[in-house]
Amino acid sequence: MSTENVSAIVEKHSGARGALIAILQDIQSRYGYLPADALKIVAGQTGRTLVDIYGVATFYRAFRLKPRGKHLCSVCLGTACHVRGGPIIAEEFGRVLGSRAGETTADLEFTLETVNCLGACALGPIVVVDGHYFSNVSPVKVKEIVDQARAGLDRVEIKSDQRIFPVEVSCPRCNHGLMDTGHLVDGYPSIRATLSFGREHGWLRLSSLYGSFNLESEYEIPLDTVVNFFCPHCHAELSGALSCPECAAPMVPMIVRGGGIVQICSRRGCKGHLLDLSGIQF
Amino acid sequence: MLERVLTKNWEKTNSHKIETYMAGGGYEALRQVLTGGFTPEQVIEEVKKSNLRGRGGAGFPTGVKWSFVPKDPSKPKYMVVNADESEPGTFKDRYILERDPHMLIEGLIIGSYAIGAKTCFIYVRGEYYHPAQVVEAALAEAYRQGFLGNNLLGSGYSLEVFLIRGAGAYICGEETALLESLEGKKGWPRLKPPFPAVVGLYKCPTVINNVETLANIPHIIRRGGQWYAGLGPPKNGGTRLFALSGHVNRPGVYELPLGITLREMIYDHAGGIRDGKVIKAVIPGGSSAPVLTAAEIDVKMDHESVAAIGSMLGSGAVIIMDETTCMVKALARITKFYAHESCGQCTPCREGTGWMLKILRRILQGEGHADDPDHLLAIQGNIQGMTICPLGDAAALPVQSFVTKFRQEFDYHCVHKRCDIESACAVPA
Repeated sequence: MSTENVSAIVEKHSGARGALIAILQDIQSRYGYLPADALKIVAGQTGRTLVDIYGVATFYRAFRLKPRGKHLCSVCLGTACHVRGGPIIAEEFGRVLGSRAGETTADLEFTLETVNCLGACALGPIVVVDGHYFSNVSPVKVKEIVDQARAGLDRVEIKSDQRIFPVEVSCPRCNHGLMDTGHLVDGYPSIRATLSFGREHGWLRLSSLYGSFNLESEYEIPLDTVVNFFCPHCHAELSGALSCPECAAPMVPMIVRGGGIVQICSRRGCKGHLLDLSGIQF
Repeated sequence: MLERVLTKNWEKTNSHKIETYMAGGGYEALRQVLTGGFTPEQVIEEVKKSNLRGRGGAGFPTGVKWSFVPKDPSKPKYMVVNADESEPGTFKDRYILERDPHMLIEGLIIGSYAIGAKTCFIYVRGEYYHPAQVVEAALAEAYRQGFLGNNLLGSGYSLEVFLIRGAGAYICGEETALLESLEGKKGWPRLKPPFPAVVGLYKCPTVINNVETLANIPHIIRRGGQWYAGLGPPKNGGTRLFALSGHVNRPGVYELPLGITLREMIYDHAGGIRDGKVIKAVIPGGSSAPVLTAAEIDVKMDHESVAAIGSMLGSGAVIIMDETTCMVKALARITKFYAHESCGQCTPCREGTGWMLKILRRILQGEGHADDPDHLLAIQGNIQGMTICPLGDAAALPVQSFVTKFRQEFDYHCVHKRCDIESACAVPA
């Protein structure tokens, strides 16, 4: 956890009255939980007492004061899911993962929790894993879901998700196309850029599917690292004025063919992105 | 065949986009209001005429609620959209947010204009991440078209809308708790009166409306309050979204006229009970509504008729349970929910829900006492009407109705130390 990052998050919401919940949400989406030191910084910067902040953080179910596993499995036990067998599903998850509801597995891979109602009652029993909804879950499907989560759900689901579509982009400086038809990611031409972080400097191929966050790169980029992107043609840094709405890191702008601009977060693992297609002609 | 008002766009491709909405006559009601010389009073009058009643659960007439806002211009006024849909069994607002967010946005602009609000907050429950993203994108579209922001359509009226995400607390669906949450505090309900229409968000006059309620407004303006009132029985204007879940063949959201019977809803629309089983019980209005037995399903689904047999229409969430359901387990599950979600402010609710849950668990573990059902009834009787907000009642009413109407099951559990329904025993509590 870094003081600057937390400060930046609080700063971002400084104009809005009553933004405490939004601040805590941002901190949690950055760190996966609310570190005690972060809450102290929030108290100091907002002028509210630490006990007040703690009260809010423990009142709302979404907030955690302890780190959670890499994958979050939420099994719905709302009334409708309950009568359709939700508790059996929760038990099966416990058995497969070897942990109980509210606990994290020893390898910090999975956190299992039960939730009260996710408002998707027609599809019960419902399970949400890493933001992906699974409906009409039966006990035999549980192992499969856990395996999919281990493999990465974003990777698995791309084929079936209708909201994902390919984009073609170019450099905002020199307007050269960044598409690389010779190197496919997700089965589509990838977006080519040069990246640098720390002492590493090498090539990067991003998926051109809007909604996919898959990438390949010359060097393994550690999670949470902010990297610099460069155009492979004019070598200018791809940087804009905006910062990420999720984590406040700088955004990387690219021109979308047909008009508009797409911006992605420069932090590895952050899914913050903006798509503005205002000028596009359909 | 009934005309579909709220769900008419749901099957269209890209139903969430502004182009789709406008192609179907969207934002014409707004144009009519802002450029056609409608005064705020006329809008309220039209909504009063429509007999529209709040769709969040309490069923308060919307036009009347709006007219409570003082005309005094010294304080800012706020419109708050309650999209904190959290009652178990309720999922109708999710469909509006995801499939037709512009119907809501047009409604909230007209509503804000009627009460003189220049700021509007949409409070979306934290778990609705995807719906929140869809609404956020829709708001951006509306800003670009000039339907939001400064000087809407050249009328001189301005409106800013902010989307706020909750963080997982059922109680924040209660309107005053929602306001506390918006102010960045714990969601502890406030004492009423004063009502939010007079002292609301940041102590300013505030109207809180449910998503479905506001989605009706554009239709009422375009086609008249009288037309809307004619869609339903007396005092219950319009159609209504019913969210059917549980043991039916086709669970889902259905737009049906108020006053249709539960039987028609379950057998004609939702395809009957799954696997040819026999219906046992129905919760007609979200988990807080008193349960109905199979013998009561000929009730007409409007506020007055459901109230007449001792239950409530609530949020229109109908949970159907078949013969395999153990009512003790179902009640234990509901009670666990309320015990967890009790905000802790009032003693009867905080302690009472915990005690009821303990007794129910004891019964399920085969350690029930013969007088435990009576204990449950006594405890719930000490919660009802004793709390600041209706969560206490919401926790008490299921206990009262389950124990009274399915007394033999509770007694069987207490005496025989086991469940009388073999199949349901397989479901852990």
